[in-house]
Amino acid sequence: MRDIPHKAPTASGDKGVASDGTRSWRLKCSVNGEPVDVMVDPTQTIFHVLREELRLTGTKGACLEGECGSCTILIDGKPVTSCLVLAPQVQGTSVTTVEGLADDDRLHPVQDSFIACGAVQCGYCTPGLVVSAAELLEGNPNPSEEEVRKGLAGNLCRCTGYTKIIDAVLAAASDDEEPAAAGAEP
Amino acid sequence: MSTLGKRIRRADARGRVTGETLFGGDLVGSEALTIRVIRAPIAHCNITGLDIEAARAIEGVVAVYTHEDIEGTNKHGLIRRDQEVFVTERVRYRGDALGIIVAEDEATAQRALDAVKIDFEALPIIENAEQALQSDAYPIHPEGNVFCNKLLRKGDAEKAIAEADFTIKCSHSTPGVDHAFLDLEAGYAELDGKTVVIHAPGQWVHEEQRLIALALGVAVENVRIVQPATGGAFGGREDISIQIYLGLAALKLKRPVRIQYTRSESMVTRHKRHPIEIEYTLAAKADGTLCAAKVLITSDEGAYLSTGPAVLRKAVSHCTGPYRVPHIWADGRAVFTNNNPTGAMRGFGAVQMAIAYEGAMARLAKALGMDLLQLKKKNLLQDGEPITTGQTIVISGAEQCLDEAAAEIGWQGRSYESPEPHLRRGFGLSCICFGIGYGDSFPDASRARVKFSDAGKLEVYTGAVDFGQGVHSLAAQIAGHELTVHPSKVEVIAQDTHRTPEAGSSSATRQTVYTGNAVRLAAAELRQEVLDVAASYTGLHWDELTLHEGTVVGKQKESICMPMASVVRLGRERGYKLDITSLYKPTTIAGGAKDGLSPRAFITYMFASHAAEVLVDMETGEVKVERVVAAHDVGRAINPQQVEGQIEGGVVQGLGMALMEEVIVSEGRIVNDGFTDYIIPTIIDAADVKAIIVEREDPEGPYGARGVGEPGLIGTPPAILAAIGDAIGVPLSEAPATAERVWRRIQESRNGGEGERRRASRPSNVVRLRGGK
Repeated sequence: MRDIPHKAPTASGDKGVASDGTRSWRLKCSVNGEPVDVMVDPTQTIFHVLREELRLTGTKGACLEGECGSCTILIDGKPVTSCLVLAPQVQGTSVTTVEGLADDDRLHPVQDSFIACGAVQCGYCTPGLVVSAAELLEGNPNPSEEEVRKGLAGNLCRCTGYTKIIDAVLAAASDDEEPAAAGAEP
Repeated sequence: MSTLGKRIRRADARGRVTGETLFGGDLVGSEALTIRVIRAPIAHCNITGLDIEAARAIEGVVAVYTHEDIEGTNKHGLIRRDQEVFVTERVRYRGDALGIIVAEDEATAQRALDAVKIDFEALPIIENAEQALQSDAYPIHPEGNVFCNKLLRKGDAEKAIAEADFTIKCSHSTPGVDHAFLDLEAGYAELDGKTVVIHAPGQWVHEEQRLIALALGVAVENVRIVQPATGGAFGGREDISIQIYLGLAALKLKRPVRIQYTRSESMVTRHKRHPIEIEYTLAAKADGTLCAAKVLITSDEGAYLSTGPAVLRKAVSHCTGPYRVPHIWADGRAVFTNNNPTGAMRGFGAVQMAIAYEGAMARLAKALGMDLLQLKKKNLLQDGEPITTGQTIVISGAEQCLDEAAAEIGWQGRSYESPEPHLRRGFGLSCICFGIGYGDSFPDASRARVKFSDAGKLEVYTGAVDFGQGVHSLAAQIAGHELTVHPSKVEVIAQDTHRTPEAGSSSATRQTVYTGNAVRLAAAELRQEVLDVAASYTGLHWDELTLHEGTVVGKQKESICMPMASVVRLGRERGYKLDITSLYKPTTIAGGAKDGLSPRAFITYMFASHAAEVLVDMETGEVKVERVVAAHDVGRAINPQQVEGQIEGGVVQGLGMALMEEVIVSEGRIVNDGFTDYIIPTIIDAADVKAIIVEREDPEGPYGARGVGEPGLIGTPPAILAAIGDAIGVPLSEAPATAERVWRRIQESRNGGEGERRRASRPSNVVRLRGGK
């Protein structure tokens, strides 16, 4: 099974959708370890720049008012809702998006655990959640269920009821090799 | 080895954890033009002038389209085509569209939108059903404001009520609720020759294709929908949203176009769950045996029909839930207002009714001085008994579900101990049923195509839409089971009008049974054809062969081993197609015109029971749901992990409906049109949820499976409301049970003394229960 193929987003950002149309700010930062040096509209958010200019569409947006957490990224390792951060605010920082979590083909343990535990339904909140969860485990490798709930309180999910998300984060944190729900590949 | 009943990984999950999966708003090709929609100025008016010249003159504006530019009917609607794509004269709600701007970019489109001038003559805005029912109310549609009545008559309810020992009368009101799926309406369209290809999220691609073609006046085959990955739906994508705008602009301009709603636009335009007022009379004998129910339902249909009549019918046909009630009188009416149209949402009339009948049951238990569990057990339907509509229930897992839920929550030994003096604990139970599929004689069907590629890869083609619930994974699992192929190696091609057969909508908790069966039938026939080909080649009888890990092998002769690619090549050389399309189309029977009864209103029913434990802050009215147990008779869990996921997710959506979710409307304008004000449960609000799978195999379902989509939600609000009532000592009549409403109820009961009497009467109950086992 697979997702239906779509025309992939193109990389040419020559025609702006910027709010005032002027790319007057030279944004220099790193995104997922790669240097970025682009002219952007300084009134735009980093959320917009990531998706529309850099074509990193893994970062999702469901409210654009900082409530849902779908747009969570890490700036210098700290989670933020990227819809509330203007592009110039990330100048000189190191940005990590969901696309930067996996090490080539090797998924981050949280990503793998989300699949194994059935924590993904529609998957729209998933990028924000795995970014938040990865950061949570970075600072607290063995969180309690209560700490997982607090750590993910800024990420809304409408499908799962959160139970399997909590399972997934706890499973990723534990030393057990594979969560019980892994299900064997042939 | 078959994976039926196994917790398999969903193949579509990987792209979602890495961010690679593209949703409608991710199709951001830079060449695409941007569409913005011109909306109604107020909720009810006649448009007297629409000046788009200034907007058109702005540099970067490519086109402005209104109803004058539409060559088709300019109408859409799932049951009746009563909603205009672009209003010609009459606006009936705030989300009505007057036209679209197509511009080179978002900023230009916004400037153009601001430059549109709308002249209008205001009409009285009808805010609720009560206003709509006034004799002098302004008619929102030509036929007036009451557009639909549904009834149910069984036995003689009046007489039975008069003769009963106990009668409970109560009224309930349930809120308008927003689907609040996270993936906003967004999509992309472009031309492929004469055909417009629309990449947009819906729930039934083939019906959307027909509606778009009709509205725009183009041939059906020239409208293709290729649905991208879709982030939730819950009924909220059943009505048309952005599809016609995308189709119109791409066809007219012959250029790629895109559209992206904001959260506010999504909430302001989309249909909602019906707010319903229910007056309920429940009568019983002194021993708790139910005698009769009298039910009057009034639903706010909003401005257009949507799926309203079906929701009302579902409410009426589920008005006594899973209980044995010999005499029923039920009337339902749906009323037009200038609020958002109301239509499909998970629970579809059944959840509103569950709040009402379980509210009445909790009151009855109290009046009888009977334990709620015992009252329910006494009245739950058993195998072979008739349900509300008169249909005989073949398999009723109702009592088993209740027993499991009650045991898990610890009902018998439940302790009201509280961590703080101002907190009170409460427990609630609910029992629900749900008819699977559209029912009522609707020609409900699913088709599926299962074939092998030339290379021997198993392929499943289905029009069924997956917005997260996992129907594509289910299809792979079933086809793989029949042909002994692991689901991860099955290719699923789906939700594309031009490549996949029609599967009906992903709604009504129907796809597991409908598409599950269609895939099972096609796959089983393909398996037989594979064995026939191999038999003719080996000279053995087909019954001497079998499949093992996708390879044909001899049952006895181990030397025989034919890889699928060889079977396919040999078969196709001899004229076998190894490409099967099957249809699953069971019949149902409409309710009688005079009594609403039907021997087969639905193909089958599922049963569930929920138990909830809450803590209520008696000083602030705040409710914390500590635990919810949900026991569901799913027939057979094809993938228990997905089944649990559906139940757990439904429970937390139901918790939202019970405690916090309410669309607040003033003069037709939604006041809380964003996630800052429209509150849905976070991970902190979510209770500790325990899903219990009960498996009493259903003769209708594939391998005995029933659907699981909606019931997880349906059973939750009644269980939580009952638990709150248990904690504060008086029942609640209104959902959501916000802190303010609960606090007011506590104050009322203190003033009236009712709450204290309830308190005083309880200890004897508790003692008896604790001593029960």
